Amino acid sequence: MKKRVLAGFFLSLSLVLSACSGGGTAPTEQGKSAEGQAKTELIVAAEQEPVGYDPHKVPAASSLRVYALIYDSLTKLDENMNIVPNLAEKWEIAPDGKTVTMFLQKGVKFHNGKDMTAEDVKFSFERIMNPDTGSIAKSYFSSVEAIEVKDPTTVVFKLKNADASFVANTASAYASIVPAGSTDLTKEAIGTGPFKMEKSESGQYVLLKKNPEYFNKELPKVESIKFQIMKDEAERLAAIRSGKVDISMVSADSAKLLEGKPGVQIKNYQSLEYSYLGINVNKKPFDNPKVREAISYAVDRNQIIQTVWKGEATLTGPIAPALTNSALDPATYPTYKTDVEKAKQLLAEAGYPNGFETQIETAATYPDMVETAQVIQQQLKAIGINAKINQLEWGNYIDTWKSKDMNLMVGRNTSGVDADRSMRFFFSTTGSANVWNYSNPAYDELVQKALTTVDQSERKKLYDEAQTMLVADAPNLFLASPKNYYAVRDNIDFTPTAAGEVYSLIKTSIK
Amino acid sequence: MGSYLIKRVASLIPILFGISVLIFTILHLVPGDPASIMLGTNATPEAIAALNKSMGLDQPLINQYLNWITGILQGNFGVSVHTGEEILPQILKRFAITMQLTVFGVLIGWVLAIPFGILSAIRAHSKTDIVVRVFTLLGISVPNFAIGTLLLLGFSLYFNWFPPIDVVNFWEDPIEAFKVFILPATTMGIVVAAGVMRMTRSAFLETMDKDFIRTARAKGNSKWTIVMGHAFRNSSIPIVTIAGMQIGYLLGGSVIVEQLFSIPGLGQYILEGIYQRDYPVVQGGVLFVALVFVLVNLLIDLIYTWIDPRIKY
Repeated sequence: MKKRVLAGFFLSLSLVLSACSGGGTAPTEQGKSAEGQAKTELIVAAEQEPVGYDPHKVPAASSLRVYALIYDSLTKLDENMNIVPNLAEKWEIAPDGKTVTMFLQKGVKFHNGKDMTAEDVKFSFERIMNPDTGSIAKSYFSSVEAIEVKDPTTVVFKLKNADASFVANTASAYASIVPAGSTDLTKEAIGTGPFKMEKSESGQYVLLKKNPEYFNKELPKVESIKFQIMKDEAERLAAIRSGKVDISMVSADSAKLLEGKPGVQIKNYQSLEYSYLGINVNKKPFDNPKVREAISYAVDRNQIIQTVWKGEATLTGPIAPALTNSALDPATYPTYKTDVEKAKQLLAEAGYPNGFETQIETAATYPDMVETAQVIQQQLKAIGINAKINQLEWGNYIDTWKSKDMNLMVGRNTSGVDADRSMRFFFSTTGSANVWNYSNPAYDELVQKALTTVDQSERKKLYDEAQTMLVADAPNLFLASPKNYYAVRDNIDFTPTAAGEVYSLIKTSIK
Repeated sequence: MGSYLIKRVASLIPILFGISVLIFTILHLVPGDPASIMLGTNATPEAIAALNKSMGLDQPLINQYLNWITGILQGNFGVSVHTGEEILPQILKRFAITMQLTVFGVLIGWVLAIPFGILSAIRAHSKTDIVVRVFTLLGISVPNFAIGTLLLLGFSLYFNWFPPIDVVNFWEDPIEAFKVFILPATTMGIVVAAGVMRMTRSAFLETMDKDFIRTARAKGNSKWTIVMGHAFRNSSIPIVTIAGMQIGYLLGGSVIVEQLFSIPGLGQYILEGIYQRDYPVVQGGVLFVALVFVLVNLLIDLIYTWIDPRIKY
């Protein structure tokens, strides 16, 4: 008898445990749209789970795509990457460039019904600039000296020096306006944005509902957006084909597979990212500029575009070509011409006629980085450089990147929306992301001058010169800027642009 | 029996303590910290430092361990450094989902394995036996992510059918829950079935050779009585052993299936924690899985005594 009880216990244990499951109830009517009723919910496949919604602290793309729909920033970028008004309806820059006055939209309300005022703007920027916050955008606003509230809809930013990138930086979602007095934004998200946080089910989905009081009455066009977490690419492909999701980012390879399949269209745009081969200029033999120049001549960037990106990428310099206003045409760089003989000769002049052994670090997480490293490995072999590839797990990769002690490293950068970020943040002597130990006073002077120059054509000239200098010095070989691909159901009017998924989602409608 | 149970339960304490030290040490030896992974190549050193400080990761390791373990003893698993969520409710919720998936998977596996395993043993070297053996070979050698991907793509391509995406509690909506779990559970079931089928076959072959079976035959018992009444119970020790081990492994190791079908189970939770270096999540999750694993083993040992009264503790 006892034994029966035991067996019964064992069997029922499993049932009881599954009974106590919170399991999550299925949201009703999602995607199924009852008979005769138009579908109003957009379902977007998300590859990663969001990790909190504090716009000032969390840089993860999976979080950003959600909080950027909940919060607004002072300005934003339109599809042509121009800075346009958002919460600030206009702005004035004083002739000396040291004072920026932002005039806010009137009648904007937070999701909790409170009015959005200049005090909230002041609070938000002070929160970003406070070192204790650990904000990612802090370095964007290092030129800000003081913020003054003139009246409820006017904020004045006093700058230490003229900062031509200031207005562009206010377009960042990292510079979102949060309600004054907010302390813990990790979980609750109250912004002025087009969508409100409705429900977030850990590991499953995030559901956003339209903000009916959004200051732009025409937007958004859908009633709700559901980000469905689907980590596996095969699952996303199956889901988009069977219509379970409406929009999904896909890899270039999957995009090819989906082309011409009924019900699905493929859309792409030129991204703001670029891949690079980073070179530690402190390490021997890379401290010799001739060695770096030789590597640049030895590497065939077009072959990387063909092999790694199947032709679906563009040649790039230090600024991704999608930033059309700032990027210089790569054809102007002499070292972009592949010339193995010249590379060998340069290497011999540098004292390495027989080449040398080295290693390339890269992230195993991203297949494109590994492939890029492999192509470069082959190309360097032609001039006698034997490189070993070290595939690192992401955490390890970041540690190596921070160590400033690698030899060669394959990676990817996001250009950002302003040339200042592409140039100063990554390559000035004191730039936070300059892990290559590159230091050139002439370059530093150029990018600093460009930052404080308000005249746009003058600024462009300075950046052109700086880009040419950077490519010649080659602390990085800038390789290719890939396209991003979306698979979109036929009945969804979604046009992705470099300005970002968020911008496109707000304008998306269901036919 | 009673004193055995007490002894076994008491022996869990040093085991779990050992595991807690081990997992803490290994995890903190792994390169990379949560702040720099979160911030990636956008990081400024001061932002990393500020973030680590706010997560309490600037303290000496021994303090971090003591804080963690005293919390655990009080039933407080802490909060995720990444999302700020309480960990224990998440573990329980996700474990319940993994449990549901495992139960479905194991049931599918057993329903396939035991009858066919028996059949292939009593009809050894027949056509049925060959089919079963080919199936077990495939089930064991084809990795479960391949089986899962084939099922997923196959059903969506040819039948335009895709399982519902949101996990549903079995008791709230059994049909919907069945739809959600059918593909992932079948994926797991095929692997389970292969192992159990093989074990069932060989255990039965061995038992059928025993003297008592010959005696039973000589007494003129029907084939059914011989197989179900005499052979079944006597063959079940190895079958229960492998089945028990599989439950343990599936509970902790359903990671790939969960990842493939976006099932927010415990395996996926821990895996995500590892990628993000979310120390409290991984530590708490692994400790919990270890606890479940040893409990399942204990249960299996107890079931032995029920199956075979000759086994005494």
